[in-house]
Amino acid sequence: MNTLLNLTVYGLSDGAILALAALGFVLIYKATGVINFAQGEFLLIGAYTLYATFVLFQLPMAASVLVCVLFAILLGVAIERLVLRPLVGESPISVIMVTIGLAALLRAVVQLIFGTRPVPQPAILPRTPVQLLPGTSVPLNRLLVIVIAAVVLAGFTLFFRRSRHGIAMRAVADDQQASLTMGISVRRVFAMAWALAALSALVGGILLGDVTEVSGRLATFGLFVFPVVILGGLDSVPGTIVGGLTIGLTTQYVSGYADPGLAQIAPYLVLIAILLVRPYGLFGETRIERV
Amino acid sequence: MSRAHWAAAILAATSLVLTAACAPGGGNGGGGGGGGSGGPIKIGVIADLTGATGDVGTPYNKGMLGYVKWINSKGGIDGRKIDATSKDYAYDVPTAERLYKEYVNDGVVAIQGWGTGDTEALVKKVAADELPFMSASYAEALTDPKEAPYNFVIAPTYSDQMYVALNWIDKEAGGGDTQVAFFHNDSPFGLAPLEDGQNWIQQKNLALTMKPYAMPSGSANYVGLLSQAEKQGAKYIIIQNVSSPAAQVAKDIKAQGLDMKIVCLNWCADELFVDGAGDASEGHVLIQPFAPATANQPGNKEVEQFLKSEGSSLEKEGLHYTQGWYTMAVMAEGIRAALKDGGDLSGTSIKDALETMGAVDTGGVVGTGEVKFSKESHGGSTGTGIYVAKDGKMEPLEEGVTP
Amino acid sequence: MAATATGVYQRTYTRDLALRHTRAEYFRLALVIAGIIAAPYLVGNYWLSILNTILIAVIGAVGLNILVGFTGQISLGQGGFLAVGAYTSALLYQRADLPAPLSIAAAVIVTAVAGALFGLPALRLKGLYLAIATLASQEIIVFVARRWDFLRDGSAPLSLDRLHVGGYEITREYFEWQWYQILVVCAVVSVLGARNLFRTGLGRSFMAVRDQDIAASAIGVNVTRAKVTAFAVSSGFVGFAGALSAHYTETVTWESFTLEISILYLAMIIVGGLGSIAGSVYGAFFMMVVPVLLNELIFAIGDQVPFLVTRLPAIENAVFGLVIILFLLAEPRGLDRIWQRMKDYVRFWPFRY
Repeated sequence: MNTLLNLTVYGLSDGAILALAALGFVLIYKATGVINFAQGEFLLIGAYTLYATFVLFQLPMAASVLVCVLFAILLGVAIERLVLRPLVGESPISVIMVTIGLAALLRAVVQLIFGTRPVPQPAILPRTPVQLLPGTSVPLNRLLVIVIAAVVLAGFTLFFRRSRHGIAMRAVADDQQASLTMGISVRRVFAMAWALAALSALVGGILLGDVTEVSGRLATFGLFVFPVVILGGLDSVPGTIVGGLTIGLTTQYVSGYADPGLAQIAPYLVLIAILLVRPYGLFGETRIERV
Repeated sequence: MSRAHWAAAILAATSLVLTAACAPGGGNGGGGGGGGSGGPIKIGVIADLTGATGDVGTPYNKGMLGYVKWINSKGGIDGRKIDATSKDYAYDVPTAERLYKEYVNDGVVAIQGWGTGDTEALVKKVAADELPFMSASYAEALTDPKEAPYNFVIAPTYSDQMYVALNWIDKEAGGGDTQVAFFHNDSPFGLAPLEDGQNWIQQKNLALTMKPYAMPSGSANYVGLLSQAEKQGAKYIIIQNVSSPAAQVAKDIKAQGLDMKIVCLNWCADELFVDGAGDASEGHVLIQPFAPATANQPGNKEVEQFLKSEGSSLEKEGLHYTQGWYTMAVMAEGIRAALKDGGDLSGTSIKDALETMGAVDTGGVVGTGEVKFSKESHGGSTGTGIYVAKDGKMEPLEEGVTP
Repeated sequence: MAATATGVYQRTYTRDLALRHTRAEYFRLALVIAGIIAAPYLVGNYWLSILNTILIAVIGAVGLNILVGFTGQISLGQGGFLAVGAYTSALLYQRADLPAPLSIAAAVIVTAVAGALFGLPALRLKGLYLAIATLASQEIIVFVARRWDFLRDGSAPLSLDRLHVGGYEITREYFEWQWYQILVVCAVVSVLGARNLFRTGLGRSFMAVRDQDIAASAIGVNVTRAKVTAFAVSSGFVGFAGALSAHYTETVTWESFTLEISILYLAMIIVGGLGSIAGSVYGAFFMMVVPVLLNELIFAIGDQVPFLVTRLPAIENAVFGLVIILFLLAEPRGLDRIWQRMKDYVRFWPFRY
């Protein structure tokens, strides 16, 4: 069996999910300047909404995904409107804290409704082994995760490049006041950023829930979003993809070739090393401050 | 600072010193309130319902409270009811310490804890306050009355379970040098049985080589560990961790098409592992001291009957319910014996009773069926059952195995 | 924050620099002192033990507020620094047989040095990047504490002998009461120390860095020195709290210093008021007392609404989240500001301003 190839596939699939989670994080930061500590909880909620619609209410797959998408958008917009908008202009510390509070609240609500036991969900993506090289096979779902994540990420990139709303978002990210004078509704862009973040986390959460299990542990996976965005730069969309894949591969290689326990702090060690050299991440924009 | 300020400060300091001389009635009687006369017997339960181990902590806690309800419906102990207060600490050690103090203040006569963290944090306190303490942490150190005089461990310790696992693997592999991988939670809990296990291999001259691998938490797969285990040539993987990660290992083994057999110790040897891994659990071995519903032990009958009257079943609640039930039952037996000995109920009298009362019969549920403490050892049992996952159920392989 | 209410005029510089200006403030001080002295007589042992944990939290919260509230450097590494303080004091006291005051003092110094070290990245990092870097240090410190065998007694966790200094010993009978005295003194010293720190040039330089670090350097503040000392001073307080908690709980296990603890402390200073020493005290009280009261409330009405009892833990988490959100939405400057506003309302009544 080719260990390296095997580890690489797993690392890429983990990294792809991380990239999806980090994408939402970066969207919010780029458009609204908010650092969202509840991104892991968005993953959690994404996985549980699919469980609720698909397993509990037994809707067909397409319908459940549709319901989930609507729910994610509503949730994102509601959070922005009720929690974040009143804090526009407050210190970053207050804004960080409010998302930490939000994280605690969202996790508690999921717990109130679904309890603490992992919930049983049948496999959504097929797990049939696929032979890559003679003697080396990986389950199909891992490969599909990479494909799906790639499609979604490509979709988001196209959205930013080509669509009216996407360009409006980039404009707001670049300069809020200039966009306002050009007649772009900054409020709508803010709401959209949160909705899209919830949406990308929904996809990430569903994929993660399917390859692992649907339980409260999904939220802790969200912590790895931080090394990813630091690596890629807080405000770079392509950076999240590079960052996600690097962190995914690093943890996988560490657990495959070194002391596997180190795998859980390896991302943080990478993070500190990078910050020491490049304080704005690898792809982050260097801010020139003026007084 | 102004002069008036200094004066105030000095005044404050002197009055503090003065009040020190006449301290208020501070002494905590170590549970006089709950003992005393014929009132209810108070027991404090520190439970994890929502923390890191809430998935197994919840049924365990339900089992404890179920037993209390059951015994109270039968008239309690010597006509006295058990008054158990259970509160969640969400696997947060400072909260556990706060709850403990609350219970001490309420005058409980015994404490039921839960995990490694709270048990370790409270070892010295329960000894000082003379309150018998049981929990679901089965570390070897807790069975030594010299180190932990008020801790009682009703199940075989992690080390005992490790010995059983190693013996079983040795027998099953049938000679030749067999490679064993030890996947453990990356914490003292996970490492607890490692050293004893290595010594056991040497001492008993088993033809086994065991290598430890820490399982990173929050990982979405364990393929890295498995490829290391494969390089080692491991045919068996002993896991000391909770069910969810163990189930993930099982899934990864299946997905990779590896020929390895998992031997789960205690905390991953349960229905959650079997359900969580689905068909990937097939054929893996579970070392579990508490008999699940499928083992049909006589001791499970009472529990089953009670649960039926509550509109539930043992199959639904799982074996951790039984675990909680019998942990409370052993404590209750200690209280019964203490009341018989002389009627004075206190932490010390319960401790003495537990040490001297002889074996408690659990109807085959715990280990070999009997739980027995002594002045020299607070380890109640060394026996455990060995099960195999088959068709999504835990099938008994061997019962009451001792190292 | 150095401003005083209008209508209060100082005639001398000493008066202007005083901590308290009005008669009402002295009256309040007297009330607080009376309250501190009377508290142990009014409450039972259980509430006294809660008071003790609050007092330790006060010291930790004051330390964190120096860094976050006064210097504007957000830190998610509080739990890690508590651990450094706790382990240092515990090891020196238990293994090296150092007297407790010395071991605690050493813990303060070691944690301050560790804080300065982890603060070095802060020289280059700002705001959000710094938050994440401190998150990393938190995870790394806890990882080390969990892995390192030296920090345990064989397979058992590190445990400490009951506190004794020379002939003075904590007795089992008056455990909480004696600790209350020790902790009150420690907390008062910490609060006064921190309060006075911000009347010195160093303290003012912290605030200048918070408000605008580039502007601060332009007017001659040594930003590097200010940031590193802020980390050191703040961690010193936190290490003090950690060391006290080690001696008070008599066991040190890594599981007491997780990320949740860091977040809890951040919540304390947010709820109390960023950049306010009094606020840290209010916040520590508030965040420690609310879960206890919530517990009692739900158990009291639990017979009528059993649903609440079974779901209590989740409700507790939800309340924790809600408290943070609501405070930030309603009054981002916390309890301290609410208290100020109440005072102003009374003072200016019947006028609104």
